[in-house]
Amino acid sequence: MANIELDTLRKEFGTGGQTVVAVENVDLDIHDGEFLVLVGPSGCGKTTTLRCIAGLEDVTSGTITFGSRDVTDLRARDRDVAMVFQNYALYPHMDVRDNLGFGLKLSTKLTTDEIHRRVEDAAAMLGIEELLGDKPKELSGGQQQRVALGRAIVREPEVFLMDEPLSNLDAKLRAEMRTELQELQHELGVTTVYVTHDQTEAMAMGDRIAVMNDGVLQQVGAPETVYRSPTNEFVANFIGSPSINLFTAEVEGSTLVGPRDFAYDLEDTAPVAGYDRVRVGIRPEDMQMVSEGGTTATVTVAEHMGNENFLYLELDGHEMTARIDSAIRPQAGETVQFTFDEDALYLFDPDTGDALKTKTDDVDTDVATMATE
Amino acid sequence: MREETRREAVWQFLTYSFIVLGAVVTLVPLYWIFVASTLSESEFLSSTSPRLVPGGEFFSNLQALQARENVQILGHVGQMTQYVDLGPVYFAYDFWHLWNPGAIENSIFIAVAYTLLSLVLCSMAGFAFAKYEFRFKKPMFYAILATLILPIQLLVIPLFLLMSQLNMTNTYWAIILPWAANPLGIFLMRQNMRSIPDALLESARMDGATEFQLYYKIALPTMKSSLAALAIILFLFQWNLFLFPLVILEQGKYTIPVAINQLVGAQRVYYDQIMVAATLSIVPIFVLFLFLQKQFVSGILAGSVKE
Repeated sequence: MANIELDTLRKEFGTGGQTVVAVENVDLDIHDGEFLVLVGPSGCGKTTTLRCIAGLEDVTSGTITFGSRDVTDLRARDRDVAMVFQNYALYPHMDVRDNLGFGLKLSTKLTTDEIHRRVEDAAAMLGIEELLGDKPKELSGGQQQRVALGRAIVREPEVFLMDEPLSNLDAKLRAEMRTELQELQHELGVTTVYVTHDQTEAMAMGDRIAVMNDGVLQQVGAPETVYRSPTNEFVANFIGSPSINLFTAEVEGSTLVGPRDFAYDLEDTAPVAGYDRVRVGIRPEDMQMVSEGGTTATVTVAEHMGNENFLYLELDGHEMTARIDSAIRPQAGETVQFTFDEDALYLFDPDTGDALKTKTDDVDTDVATMATE
Repeated sequence: MREETRREAVWQFLTYSFIVLGAVVTLVPLYWIFVASTLSESEFLSSTSPRLVPGGEFFSNLQALQARENVQILGHVGQMTQYVDLGPVYFAYDFWHLWNPGAIENSIFIAVAYTLLSLVLCSMAGFAFAKYEFRFKKPMFYAILATLILPIQLLVIPLFLLMSQLNMTNTYWAIILPWAANPLGIFLMRQNMRSIPDALLESARMDGATEFQLYYKIALPTMKSSLAALAIILFLFQWNLFLFPLVILEQGKYTIPVAINQLVGAQRVYYDQIMVAATLSIVPIFVLFLFLQKQFVSGILAGSVKE
């Protein structure tokens, strides 16, 4: 087991004059035994970062350290890492047993009996003992996924790397495997880096999540911290489903003036001091429907989910989403009024996107964490 | 709905008619060769229309063919005068030395050796072109492809000079080596190997495989059907090679096409014997295809359907 340290990791692609920076000076410290999720939109450099850690890409500059071992220039097979690929990459001509044992056969001096034992242990752990004689094409997607995991587990590596391993599964199976994967990782205690573009998956699985965009690491932190206190507008927008509502508002004294009749009096004006314009963010669940005194909006679509309702609102061309109690059920076309608590308000610099204010309501993250354990 | 069914039936009828027609066009000449090989020369020459019923002269034709001095189609064992009962090893040794290979055996040996060697070279080159980045990769690949347009006639003289400098004239190797790195084979393997997912190779790399193991343990087994298809193509190419073997081989090492050519004399063409030799020459190809047909068909279709 080991911690992973990325020090100003940089990766450029390209030939001749055209270079594309895929990963730009990423500094990241992944703790021993931690489950870290790299998340971001496609093309943000998360997979490239993972591949650099795996040794499948040469880095342009910077170093990668596992524990005290500098692995920057080591080949993939000398790094003691195992990787689960998005499409599983099972060897089609080998049965499950050989698929699982292939790495052990090539990279260790274990006896055939020992390899057998380890393959069977891993298969038992994943509940695929009865599939050991099958070829990959005879397996369902979920079973292939398990074999791919098994192939990583059986090697007992220092580091697990996973590249969107659940994205080819259907929604139900994905949720199941998500839990199973977490349990497995906790049980084995192997440092894991997991790449996904799905922020829900990131929030659900990661001990910490690292949000990337355009090759730049935006923020690293516990899921709830990233959700509640994003460092910038990109992170706020990317994390959370449905997405945060964002619009530009003018600062007039202590009042924020936005589209339609949006006018919000701030009690604490410190965050907006010196700004005449800010970006305002409100999470859908923080929107409160009121009968009067709020901002007027028109309901375009109302989705009744049973336990809650999603309202899609429109105010002067701005689309907003509200997540409200199922008892409140306006119809499409109706006009409603909404407001929110200042505690729940996010404010961002209109030019740089940096956060000026994030949630300040008094949820104690520690208590919340303890309650879930 | 009924209209659709009828159209489908018509379509199916047309398709099958086309397939049957194709089969007839392909098979009739082969059958005719076989029938002709069973007729005596006078029967063959006197019949005004092609016969469909085989005659009974196959073995006498074969005997006449085997009795010729300038051509040996099937090999034979020379007289084992030294043979004293010294056990099976000595017998095998003796047999080997007294064995006079005929054109069929020459052709089989050359084609098999050529096919095996060429499969190794073509698959290695194809793997490199498909899965590695290196300097001048594209120009090299196009240069290899460009050699496809050079006709064999153009190569005969330079190849002959080369082989004679290497003291390889009248050897099997003179026929095997020049086309061992077959450009068509390299092209086909490269196209097929591109369908191997990169993740598969990367996964094996992470499992600790060396680059050669990637080729040997991952690429080759997943390319089985393409290799089988290529094997047939290479075997046929070598089997049918005529001009260069004619120039570089001497009697005793003749391959089938060269040997058959010897049956066309200045004054006389031995049609009956030619037909026997041609019939015999088809048998190995037939057997090969019988063994590899499943892989051959799936190899031809490889990459056409996304799985």
